[in-house]
Amino acid sequence: MPSDTPPKGQPDEAMVDLLVKQVTEGLSPAEQRALDVMDSEIASAYLRDLERAAAAVTLAGSSGGEPLPAALSARIAQQAAEHFATAEHSARPNTVTNNVADLTDARTAAAEKARAQPSLAPSAASARAVRFGGYGWLAAAACLVLAIFGWERSPPPLPPVAVVAPSPVVVAPPVQPAPPTAAEERAALLAKTDSLKIPLGATKDPAAAGVTGDVVWDPATQRGFLHFAGLAPNDPAVHQYQIWIFDAGRDKRYPVDGGVFDVPANAGEVVIPIRASLMVRKPAAFAVTVEKPGGVVVSGREHVVALGATS
Amino acid sequence: MSPSVLQRIASGDSAAVRECIDQYGPLVWSIARRLSRTPADAEDATQEIFLDIWRSAARFDASQGSDKVFIAMIARRRLIDRLRKTSAEPPMDPVEALETVAWADPGTASETSIEAEQATRALAELRPEQRQVLELGLLHGLSQTEIAAQLSMPLGTVKSFMRRGLIKVREFMNVDAEGVSVRV
Repeated sequence: MPSDTPPKGQPDEAMVDLLVKQVTEGLSPAEQRALDVMDSEIASAYLRDLERAAAAVTLAGSSGGEPLPAALSARIAQQAAEHFATAEHSARPNTVTNNVADLTDARTAAAEKARAQPSLAPSAASARAVRFGGYGWLAAAACLVLAIFGWERSPPPLPPVAVVAPSPVVVAPPVQPAPPTAAEERAALLAKTDSLKIPLGATKDPAAAGVTGDVVWDPATQRGFLHFAGLAPNDPAVHQYQIWIFDAGRDKRYPVDGGVFDVPANAGEVVIPIRASLMVRKPAAFAVTVEKPGGVVVSGREHVVALGATS
Repeated sequence: MSPSVLQRIASGDSAAVRECIDQYGPLVWSIARRLSRTPADAEDATQEIFLDIWRSAARFDASQGSDKVFIAMIARRRLIDRLRKTSAEPPMDPVEALETVAWADPGTASETSIEAEQATRALAELRPEQRQVLELGLLHGLSQTEIAAQLSMPLGTVKSFMRRGLIKVREFMNVDAEGVSVRV
């Protein structure tokens, strides 16, 4: 019996999580594949609602706005003229002629605005404005170039380069600390008081003979590591191992994908980072299956080679 | 009721194209600046967004929402697509360095659009830290992972705040509009 089953026609939590991510930052290919196997009608309707909500919040936080730089406005007008002249309006030659003429006039009008509005005033109070701080100067330079050469986009002139005499002092490049290994990261996670350590047990699958290991999982950061020894080496061109996380807050038929990995020959002890594709609220169990290269969205669970439960 | 500027563009009215650039250029530009990593990116994105607007104008239905929210949806889609393609680039500025957003006043937001008014009323019901997560994600383009790092907040909490916040806004909009949605 699935838990948290949504009312008919409503998205479940996994779908909502993916749709929120799509609206706010976009999906990775794996997340997109996960969404693709869900009910597309419900997903597309809910996605539109969330996009509309996000757009409304954007409007609420964008009152006023800043004037569009005149040079950019002119380029957009030019682009529109080209678009409407060559695309769907091509069937209406008279209109197209008028449109192009009108929009070319728009460039002239924008040029007038560019002269009247030479630069954007940077906001000193804002670091983001600092990031864009060169823009006012750029706009002024653009206006000058436009006045001389028309609407061709031109980069700003480079600042003069000082000629410096060679120095006999050789400065060693800064030493970058080596990034922590997966084993070190696992040890650090294990030291956290709120992390979970779950023993992994072998199953009866032939590839699992002699497997021992554990999973360390931190619910707060949603990071974890699979640590094991004894799993049979795999040929990545034939199959790969895939990690699954069973979330007590989700339908147990659809565990969360934790990523795929390979076991080289003579690997000994191995530590693999777990990359959960969705947020795991209540981790109930972790499993490793054998799947086709690249992994699958929903496992048939024919070959479960390791399993561990939180209680 | 006179046709909107988008409907006029769809019908081939060239004057509407100029009006659209003048009327919505500041909105698109401000969104693009916030959700782009460099000024050059913001300029390129703004041009791409307007091209998307020309291509999508025929799909705008004024009975289902305002032209402003339609354009903001198009802008956000394009900018998120661009951010994903450049996600390997250095992260954003620290939170302290980000421009503070002045949310529209609930009493005047309707001048921006009815949807902005609805969003403002929904945001007013959120806790400050929830609003901050929405602000960083939706207005500054930070990923959930970046927000968690910047605020030293568990990723799960960030996801939860973002999700509840968007759902709250959606509820306010659907209550007012009886579930109608804009198709882009």
